[in-house]
Amino acid sequence: MDRENVNDLSVRDICVKYNGEAVLKNLDLTLKRGEFAAIVGQSGCGKTTLLNAIAGFIPYEGSIAKPPKIGIVFQNCAVFPWLNVKNNISFGLEDSHKALNHYLNMVDLKDKENNFPFELSGGQIQRVALARTLAANPEIILMDEPYGALDVYTRDKMQKWLLDIWQKERKTILFVTHSIEEAIYLADRVLVLKDKAIRKEFRINFRRPRSCDIKFDKSFIELKKRIAKLLN
Amino acid sequence: MPLNKLKKFYFILPIMAFIVLWQLASVSNFVNKSLFPPPTQVFSAFIELLDSGELFLHIKTSIWRVIAGLLIGSFIGIAAGLLTGRIKIIDKSLSSLFHVFRSFPPVAIIPLVIAWFGIGETAKLFSIGFAAFFPVWINSHIGASAIPVYYLRAASTLTKSGYAKWFKVILPASLPFIVAGMRTGIAIAFIMVFVSELAGSSSGIGYLISVSHLAYRIDKMIVGLLILGFFGAITDYIFVRLVRRGFPWTEKM
Repeated sequence: MDRENVNDLSVRDICVKYNGEAVLKNLDLTLKRGEFAAIVGQSGCGKTTLLNAIAGFIPYEGSIAKPPKIGIVFQNCAVFPWLNVKNNISFGLEDSHKALNHYLNMVDLKDKENNFPFELSGGQIQRVALARTLAANPEIILMDEPYGALDVYTRDKMQKWLLDIWQKERKTILFVTHSIEEAIYLADRVLVLKDKAIRKEFRINFRRPRSCDIKFDKSFIELKKRIAKLLN
Repeated sequence: MPLNKLKKFYFILPIMAFIVLWQLASVSNFVNKSLFPPPTQVFSAFIELLDSGELFLHIKTSIWRVIAGLLIGSFIGIAAGLLTGRIKIIDKSLSSLFHVFRSFPPVAIIPLVIAWFGIGETAKLFSIGFAAFFPVWINSHIGASAIPVYYLRAASTLTKSGYAKWFKVILPASLPFIVAGMRTGIAIAFIMVFVSELAGSSSGIGYLISVSHLAYRIDKMIVGLLILGFFGAITDYIFVRLVRRGFPWTEKM
């Protein structure tokens, strides 16, 4: 069977319209299995719309070949306020016990398992959201600016932590952000969404595992400048 | 006692002042004593009713009716509200009908209910349940229709189970609104229990006030009124405390 249709994502020539006006037009995108790709773009350029189309939440024209199970980490987490950490992570799982403990330990929230989201910090809530998504065992994870609302310090910690988990789980991730630095630091490939389609892609060749220090690397800064110039 | 601790008891001051003024107005014959018996006489009537065991029986009967009627009305109200709030076709077919019924003053149905069910328990539970249904329904409806789409989308990526969608997402997400509706329902239930007992009954606080009226025992009527007010307030207080304890997140949503 064609590998692309088994576990990768293949978006072909899709158009999405809101009130008759195209938000995305003739957009193509392919993700390889286990790849970490990031999409950058200015606010309102259609990044979230693209994820919504891939997830099947909104109608679109064109074709999207995707695996049956897609996980999503939303901009505002969408962690259920009425469930404690344990029940959030095991939401929808049939045999939850084993997976629950595995992911509780992975996101380092074993001691908070009975706490409600309102008792957690922003970073902890984000960890619950990712653990919940991972526990459902999706083939692809779509992440919609998950760290946009966090302070810089927590954001750095969450990025490092996401990379560690990705190294272990090797899920295919499509990460949307407006931070060019975040995109370069996390991804294998950075895709620039502008004028309703992917205009350019940059392959990121920094060795993994990556440390935060690469953000001060000359080539990192150079790349950041190039992408910023393209976006502006 | 430090001043800030005393502040907690400030609410008692106007009540005390009111009782003192009432007593003075009554014993000084400033007002007609037989129409406005002094608080001391009302208190004696309260003790008299308490000693005979009559008061406890009336309270028990009325509270039982309020709780049972409220539960019936709320259960149907929540179910209907979630369905009309989430399913367009049900909303379109039922909501306009509910809005017509909602505009009736609930006490106006009592003569009709007596014609249908007589003056037994069924009639009272129907009246209270009917009146409590509407605030619970409209609030549940608003709560269910205003659920942020990302909760439903998140749930749809995690499970395909309809049970989980309705009972683990839609119901709890609507709960803050349901609670608000039930609090209005409690207030209405107390009105309805009083009116339906007044209209025909052999026990309950409404009945106590009604027979005291016939016997011209104004002191007893005032006891009944105060008891009704006290239990109305305490029921709401207990309900709010139970919600806070059972669902601590409702205030943080």
